[in-house]
Amino acid sequence: MTTNEPDLTIKKEELKEALAPSGNVFDIFVRGARKGWNIGVNNLIPNILMAYVIAYILNILGVMDFIGHWCGPLMALLGLPGEALIVLLTVWLSCSAGVGVAAAFFTQGVLEPVHITILMPAFILMGSQLQYMGRLLGTADVPKKYWPLLMVISIVNAVIGMILMRVVLLFF
Amino acid sequence: MDKREEERLTRLPKVGWKGYAALIFAILFFAGIFASIQQAEWLRAFDFSTLIGKFGNMASEKATFVGMGGVSARGGFLFALSLVPSVMLAVGAVEVLSHFGALTAAQKLMTPLLRPIMDVPGFVGLTLITDMQSTDAGAALTKELYDEKLIDKREQTIIAAWQYSGAGMINNYFAIVGALFSYALVPIVIPLLIIFVLKFFGAVVCRIVLDTVYKGDFAHDDK
Repeated sequence: MTTNEPDLTIKKEELKEALAPSGNVFDIFVRGARKGWNIGVNNLIPNILMAYVIAYILNILGVMDFIGHWCGPLMALLGLPGEALIVLLTVWLSCSAGVGVAAAFFTQGVLEPVHITILMPAFILMGSQLQYMGRLLGTADVPKKYWPLLMVISIVNAVIGMILMRVVLLFF
Repeated sequence: MDKREEERLTRLPKVGWKGYAALIFAILFFAGIFASIQQAEWLRAFDFSTLIGKFGNMASEKATFVGMGGVSARGGFLFALSLVPSVMLAVGAVEVLSHFGALTAAQKLMTPLLRPIMDVPGFVGLTLITDMQSTDAGAALTKELYDEKLIDKREQTIIAAWQYSGAGMINNYFAIVGALFSYALVPIVIPLLIIFVLKFFGAVVCRIVLDTVYKGDFAHDDK
């Protein structure tokens, strides 16, 4: 999640470690939980704090009502309120920030559990596309000509994912 | 490229029964099935959503330490803090399940499907599995395969399509979206399955577009 230039050389040991970490089970769990703590402190808390502040500002300015009103019909196709468009746009820029906005909207009562559930595949399928352009497509050396295609595919995937979640919800 | 190098990039891992058992356990652990079997309540001891536990109540019986009606920076901070335990538990559990080979088992299972579905060689499985854990490492492996001439530009683009939509899906899902798991109305393994299947769908769409719209680009591209 850092924006620093990552070290991309893969050593065999690192790959093995990522796919099957070694050590005793308790140590491995603690190492993972520590990763989770670092994500929580370095990523989750700052992102959600920012999202809460932005959501509060949007609320004070009345932007939320405006977007909720005008994007309502479009988002209704996915079973979501209009404000969910803000979540999706944010997710595209940064997955963590998008999740933060969703959490903030949830607390404000704009999104309900059913909406969060529908959004879940989209957080991943169209998440952080902007930064992954460099980190993934650039690094993997995919010809720039095909980047728009891959981006459209991701967004289509996200839309299909949300529709599938609506279908799945019929059974719960 | 020497033989050893080629073997390093393409070799299928050995998967014992432990790997498959870990994969099955991983699915059951996150699927929420163990929480709902009434005849065997003890199974809840192996259920993720049960193990997240709960915070104690404030005297009002309704509010946790987050309180009620908090807004903006302060409200957001306490709320985010309340999400940290579920992320720690999820990432810790994924780490342990990877240790028992759940991911290598998944790699082995998907290898025979790669040629018919995506029209890429089976050995690409390692690259795809790596991407599920780490966006950067997955991307680096893709480039390596191309540089070593094990795949061509067309295959590289199809692989990138698979990787790009939902990059780092396991880590991002459990570590970031994990913050919202407690609001999910369906077992949290279902969205993950949908994501996984749609990654293949995206790759197939990419394959079709490359073979039709951009057909000319690859006419003289020999492997």
